[in-house]
Amino acid sequence: MKAQSKLYFYLIISAVLLTIIAVLSLNTGVYDFGDNSPFRALWQFIKGDPHLSLSDKYVIWDVRAARIIMAILVGSMLSVSGTSLQGLFKNPLATGDLIGLTSGATLLAAIAIVLGGHFKEYLPEVVQFSLVGIAAFIGSFLSMMLVYRISTSGGKTNVVMMLLTGVAITAIGFSITGFLIYISKDEQLRDLTFWNLGSLAAATWTKNIILAIVTIIAYIILLPKGKALNAMMLGEKDAQHLGINVERLKKQIIIIVALMVGSCVAFSGTIGFVGLIVPYILRLLFKSNYAFILPLSAMCGSILLLTADTFSRSIVAPSELPIGILTALMGGPIFIAILVKFKKSL
Amino acid sequence: MKKFILAASVLVAVYSCKKAEAGAKENTTEATSEAPKTNNKIVTLNGGITEIVAALGHEKEIVATDVTSTYPASLKTTAKDLGHMRSMTIEPIMAVSPTLILASDKDINPELMGKIKSSGIKTEVFKQEYTVEGTKKLIEQVAKAIGNTDYQKLNDKIDADLKQVQPIAKKPKVLFIYARGNMLMVSGKNTPMASLITLAGGENAVTDFEDFKPLTPEAVVKANPDVLFFFETGLQGAGGNEGALKMPGVSQTNAGKNKKIIAMDGGLVSGFGPRVGEAAVGLNKLLIESTK
Repeated sequence: MKAQSKLYFYLIISAVLLTIIAVLSLNTGVYDFGDNSPFRALWQFIKGDPHLSLSDKYVIWDVRAARIIMAILVGSMLSVSGTSLQGLFKNPLATGDLIGLTSGATLLAAIAIVLGGHFKEYLPEVVQFSLVGIAAFIGSFLSMMLVYRISTSGGKTNVVMMLLTGVAITAIGFSITGFLIYISKDEQLRDLTFWNLGSLAAATWTKNIILAIVTIIAYIILLPKGKALNAMMLGEKDAQHLGINVERLKKQIIIIVALMVGSCVAFSGTIGFVGLIVPYILRLLFKSNYAFILPLSAMCGSILLLTADTFSRSIVAPSELPIGILTALMGGPIFIAILVKFKKSL
Repeated sequence: MKKFILAASVLVAVYSCKKAEAGAKENTTEATSEAPKTNNKIVTLNGGITEIVAALGHEKEIVATDVTSTYPASLKTTAKDLGHMRSMTIEPIMAVSPTLILASDKDINPELMGKIKSSGIKTEVFKQEYTVEGTKKLIEQVAKAIGNTDYQKLNDKIDADLKQVQPIAKKPKVLFIYARGNMLMVSGKNTPMASLITLAGGENAVTDFEDFKPLTPEAVVKANPDVLFFFETGLQGAGGNEGALKMPGVSQTNAGKNKKIIAMDGGLVSGFGPRVGEAAVGLNKLLIESTK
């Protein structure tokens, strides 16, 4: 029980920190509210105050608030997907972007956008976004199956194989996506920057609702799995003896991670390294106790991505830095740190 | 843990600096931005459209533009530069509280367009064609959008300018090279450059593809242009005439052998606004020079 209350304590601390960052982020931006403040504007919006000017309302609700919520959802899911994968592969290097799930998702999302461009006018917005989301899910799911088949045999994962499969999938995805962008004239595909470095600029409430639904479904199934993942660390046979249905657990993780990575990629492109950075820091604090780091990574991922996004849109205002630059800047050194630390065991 | 706290405090420090800076910025903008003389606050997101609005005498109403709006140069000081269309986001546009946004259908990205539409600001997206007729139509539409009916003089000026274009006996084949750093693209059919080259009495050296494609040595040799045509900035970036002559394949072409390289201002060439006649005359003169 003591451990449980400790976990709640940390969760509350993270929630408070996240709230503070969200408040700062709400106050950051080039739009000037004049004699109104962003917080008052938001309050007026919530109350339905008729005196709130249209552009104040739009900036606070449809631009800043939407973007903050998207950063929270995407950051959280990317981080949890990294943590779960690391539990599944029993390796700190397994993350969606390194083993190629993100590229697989990007590829199918891009194909869906190019093909869907022909009939998308006739579809409602929710269906349009869902189509791309579903395609991205299929892409990440197929990549996941491929990586798992190639790199894992008899419950043992060959890390080199896992990473190299990721490299191969990324290369294929990159080339085909590049080709699609080259042939799609009317920028329906946005550009390569979006698919390689990600962006939260296109946040809308429709997208947030879809992301929120995915998050809720994923977390109901995944977050209580901390103890089971701890048991997996002992090896699959021992976990089986402890009464854990290993095969079922693996299947659940594979499908849910693919779903999370897929929907994040469909709406925010490729934001790398979040699933590497957050679990790494949490491991430094709590060792590999998944009962702790799984729920905490859900919180800390949001903190990380919201901070990065707030920086990305304020450093070079009025334009923005692609957010993937910032996450890669943080993640690269940590990747090297992990390699050095586990040099012997990799 | 110590490291973590250190990192966090650095973040907070940097953030507060940023805020302070932003605060300072906001104050300066308040000091300098006078309210426009009229009640219109226009954001123009295309070089040609910007020129039309300015030529109609509404330059003072332009509060922000995109990176391609280089003319009139006075806008640099009076209007906010929102950067490149492709990386533009909605909040900086909202920040200048525009009453009207004017854009071309050629270069706006759908995500941003969606955001602009839902922001409720009056927006006009014009179909842009790179022809004299297209420019005239654009002038008419932009004039209507900003509530000015006195646009005929701009069209008359274009016609008067075009009358000065002198026919060239032997049409030179012109290859436009768009150079940005190490990336070289050549313009095919249906580009503003191809259209301007035709207006100026030359012919576009590329006939077998549309839009821009990466330059390949073989394609250059095959097109065998008599003249190489650049943006001034692009030519500088490529290392001037020397650099251009060293580009792959160029040495094998007529243009390379005779060192015929010309350059013009990018905004003038690609704008297809009220100065389209001037641009054609300018290019016409350069082509006559280079065919002597």
